[in-house]
Formats: sequence, structure tokens, C-alpha cells
Amino acid sequence: MFAFLLASFLVQGSSSVGRAPAPAVERRTIAIDAALAARAHLRIGDRVSVSARPGTIGDTVIVGAIVRRGADPSEVARGDLRVRMHLDQIQTIAGYGDRVDRFAIATTPAAAIPRLIDRINRVAFGFKAYRSRDIAVETSRTFQVVSRFHRAIGIITIVASSVFLLCIMVLKVEERRRDIAALRLMGISRATVVRSIVMEAAVVAVLGSALGVLLGWAASLLVNWHYQALYRTPLEFSIVTLPTVVFAVALSLVLGIAAGVAASLRFVRTPPLTLFGR
Amino acid sequence: MRAALAKASLIRHRARTVLAVLGVAVAAAMLLDMVMLATGMRESFRELLLSRGFEIRLAPKGTLPFDTDATIPGVSAIIATLRANPDIREISPVLGASIHILAGNHDISGSALGIDPSVEGDYELLSGRDVTTPDAIVANDHLLSQLGARVGDTLSVATGYDPQTRTYSGQRKLVVTGRVRFIYGANDQSSSAMRRETLEAMGGQARDRASLFMVRVRKGANAEQVRDWIDKQLPNVTAISIATAIAQVDERLSYFRQLALILGAVSLFVGFLLVTTLVTVSVNERVGEIAVMRAIGVSRSHVVEQIVLEGVAISFAGAVLGLALGLVTARYLNTILSAFPGLPMSINFFLFQPKAAWSALGLLIASGIGAGIYPAWRAASLPIAESLRREAIA
Repeated sequence: MFAFLLASFLVQGSSSVGRAPAPAVERRTIAIDAALAARAHLRIGDRVSVSARPGTIGDTVIVGAIVRRGADPSEVARGDLRVRMHLDQIQTIAGYGDRVDRFAIATTPAAAIPRLIDRINRVAFGFKAYRSRDIAVETSRTFQVVSRFHRAIGIITIVASSVFLLCIMVLKVEERRRDIAALRLMGISRATVVRSIVMEAAVVAVLGSALGVLLGWAASLLVNWHYQALYRTPLEFSIVTLPTVVFAVALSLVLGIAAGVAASLRFVRTPPLTLFGR
Repeated sequence: MRAALAKASLIRHRARTVLAVLGVAVAAAMLLDMVMLATGMRESFRELLLSRGFEIRLAPKGTLPFDTDATIPGVSAIIATLRANPDIREISPVLGASIHILAGNHDISGSALGIDPSVEGDYELLSGRDVTTPDAIVANDHLLSQLGARVGDTLSVATGYDPQTRTYSGQRKLVVTGRVRFIYGANDQSSSAMRRETLEAMGGQARDRASLFMVRVRKGANAEQVRDWIDKQLPNVTAISIATAIAQVDERLSYFRQLALILGAVSLFVGFLLVTTLVTVSVNERVGEIAVMRAIGVSRSHVVEQIVLEGVAISFAGAVLGLALGLVTARYLNTILSAFPGLPMSINFFLFQPKAAWSALGLLIASGIGAGIYPAWRAASLPIAESLRREAIA
């Protein structure tokens, strides 16, 4: 049986994993993760000695595979180095006997999982069955906290951007004070002036937000490139989604229109000559 | 005079000045929060580790304290070795284990520390007395409230639960002698402490083991040198000094520091851009006015100072408002991050330090000055006659 133990074997520094002299007998293979391979300068085919206690002589095995970790958020920022071994071998090395930490059970698509869990828990002696989803909820508490933190930071950023945008749009419209006065003196109606100013503000807001989306997309690529390299994970840290783009453009459009309406209404109510400073 | 003119110019366009100040305030709040986040975590963690004066911790080789269930054998021999170093003042061995407190037909699980009360550095006694006798146990409020127990109550405590046989390796009646607060414990953690020999006797495991040693060095001694000495003397332990521990935490939480750096820089840039835009538009609107001032003999430097002053005034007002806003948001954000599972309750991600506030204020004032320089330079270099003619035609 070539079953890999998926977790919990922490390699304890270089004193436990080291190059061993070439053996005469056939050795078993292990799989190591890319981080361990990079740190210990190991390649496929290298012989290493593996033990559960530092400073003790362990089993000599051959590196049979170097694996890349999956996109598992729970492994981000953890410095653990992992080795996958044959189950019986790790049981021997760790002095575990015929024991495992957990079983993973695959069910058929039609299985009634709650009933199955109840049944296992009723008959099993010495362990308890959980639904994978429940375990995921429990282990994802850290990410829920990070997610809440990101949301709060996002709200502050939106408030800051909104004030900035509003300010810029007000300035933009105020720059047109003389044009508005001229249009009014030529007999153009208030409604037409307001409409044209609002339309201009909306176009500027949409163009600005389009540029912002491009910048955001580029920043997202940079963030992913940096953190994927830093944490050696294929996990995507930043994703530009359609709802995010729609939200950003809509917010910018609403604020642009609001600023345009507020400023242009103020100007069309002011006598044109006053706008000229007379 | 310059200040009065700058003030008049800002008051003339109240709405836009208020908006700009608000914009700078939000950027300043974010900047302060990010400065606090970047420095606070490390400082808070350092304070936590040093709170009881133990500068070095010894954990089983290759692990962090209480990161795994591994223990260090030969406590007496290790203590004897450590005592040979005159720079080591105090040694506190700690054994950690899971306990089950039996209450009727169910049990409540928690963690227990086996300590030597004369040198312990893990908790503060809130009421009652310490674990001076072998049958004494002290517990935190979370565990006591779960049990509905008080100081003086007797608990049936068990360790070493074997799920296959559903039995415990050790069970004993212990008396709650005190209420304590665990310095390194999380809010929602049920924790207790008893004498190390009591916990060892209940565990049924090999005696004379510890999960962690905390070492206090002599005043004036170099903790890093002592750590190096321990590393050489004891090959089966990892000696962690405060500096090493902070470096390890830094590595694990590097994401937050980088986030703080990026968001802080963006906030500063947004504030800078806002002030530059506002002052530039303001200068463009007052070309004629500035030309008149220059024509009647007002010096270039006077014009530059007035315009830079406008930028600084907006930045300063925004910064002061932003610092107050930043403290409120920092508290809110800290509440969110404090919910990290297993985080010691004394850790603050956003630690207010006057230095952080001064740094944020200084950066904003500097950006305000920087923001005013370009429009001020433009205003000072206006051709007087041409500007006046253009203004008259307009």
C-alpha cells in the first residue's frame, strides 16, 4: 500500500534530515515539498536519513518526489516543512504503532452524509466522525478574521476615495464657472447647462474609473506575483472580479454625477455676471 | 500677513476646503493606523515576552514554545547545566498538558501548566493564593465560568484521555486556590496551573520532563550570548531569545507589515495628490490676483510662502482630525484582529505610541509642504504684465 500520510510529520531541522551514505539495500521513497527541497538542497534520487527525534540515527530513504503545495490558505505564512512517507514507515519511525491521526472517507455522491456520520459515531469506539465542511469552518477562523479585517480596511479606503473623488469633481466643475456664465448669458437654459455639466462629470468619472480598474488589475498581478513567491503557494491573494469592477465604476459614477449636480445647480442659480466676478 | 492671506484664500472656497480637509483626514487616519500596525505588533509582542523578565525560552529542538506536544526530557540535568552559567539568574521549567475536569456525567477540557510557583512567569494571581500545595490548582475566569466553580471548590481533574478505552491515565481531586490571568493565553482559552510534580504524577508519562524552560538572565548580561551558550550546551533544545522570537513572529506576520507599508504609502500619496490639486486649482483661479500682488511689489518669496502655507494648513487641519479618527478606527480594527484564534489577549496589533503619531503628522506636514511647492513655484514665476493683460481681457 502506497498511502501517503498527509499531515503532521514535522521535519525537525537539518539534524533529522541529512544526506546519508549510499546503502546496499533497496530503500523506500519519500515525497518532500518544494520548500524543504530548496532549503536542504535536495533533488530527486538523493538519499536522506529521517527520524522523529533530533540527533538520532533514522531510516535512510530516497527522495522519490518533490511536490508543490496546493492552494491551501491554512498553510500560508507557516514555515513547516513537510515530508510524505509510507504510512507504515512513519508509524514505525514515530513509535505510533498501528495508529493514525485521522481517516479521510470518500462517499458516493448519493450517500446521506449526516446519517453516515451518526452511524459511525454510534458504532465507533474511540473516535468521532465530522463532516469535512464543519472542520473547514473551524479551521478557517483565522481567514474569517483576516477577511473581516480586509473588509474594514476596504470600507475606509472607499470613504477616502469617495471624499477624494467628490473633491476633484467639485473642483472640475468649479473650473467651468466662466463657461457656465457665458452659456447663461447666451440664453442657454439652466436645465441644459446642468445636463451638460453632469454629462461631462459622468464621462470623466467613467474614464477615471476605467483607468482605475486597469491600475487595480496591474496591482493585483503584482500582489499575486509577490505573495505567491514569498509564501511558495499557487494561492491567489488578489482577484479582480466583475462585481468589484461594477461596484468601483458605479460608485465613481454616482459620486461624479452627485458632484456635478451639486456644483452646477449652485452655479446656474448664481447670476452670470457674479460668476464673471462683476 | 502671509498667514492671513492664506486663511482668506481658504475661507473663500469653504466647501472645497472642507472637502479637502476631510479627504486628508481620512488619508491621515489610514496612515496613522498603518504606522501603528507596522510597529505596534512587534512592540506589543516584545512587551508581552518581557512582561515577566524572562529573556530566553527553551523549547524542544525545532519547535516553538507549545507549538507541538513534544517535551524535553531530563529537567534536573538541564537545570544543573544552566546553573553553571553565572549569567543565568532564574530558570522556570513548565510542563503543558490537556486536562479534563469531570462535572457530573460530562467533562470540560482545558489546558494545564505544571509550574514551580516560586519562579513561574505565566500568570498573574487575581485573587486567592498560588499553588503552594500539591493538591492546589489555579484557573482563569473562562475555565471557572465554564465549570461554575469558585475559589475553594474541589475539582476532579484527569489527564491522559485514551479515546480507544475511554479512560484517563491519571485522576485527582484538586482544590481551586486562586483565580489567575494567563499572560500568554487567549481570551477564549480554558487554562489552569498546578505544581509540575502534580501534573507529572497525573500524566503517567515519563517523569522529569518539561515543555518549555523560561530563563531569566542576570542584569547587564547579554541575552544573545547566553542563548548561544545554551545552544552549544544543550543540543536537544532550541533556545529562543526575545530577538529571535520577534524575528519569527515578524516572518509569520510579514503580510500585515507589508500591507501596512503599501496602504500607508497609498494614503500619503492620496493626501499629497489632493492637496496639490486643490492648491493648483486655487492658484489657477487667482492668477490675476497674484499678478497684482507681484505688480505692487510683493516679493516672490512672499507669494511662495503664502501658497505653501495654504497646503500646509490643509494638511495640518486634516492631520489633526485624521489622528483622532485614526485612533477610533485603530481600536475598531484591533477588535477585529484580536479575534484571531489562540492569540494572547495582551497582544495589540495597533499599539498607540507617540512616536507613531508624530511620524504620521510629520509625514503629512512634509507632504503638505511638498504639495504646495509646485503651485507656489508656478505662481511665483508668472509673467506679471502678461497675466494682468490676460486677466483684463477675460
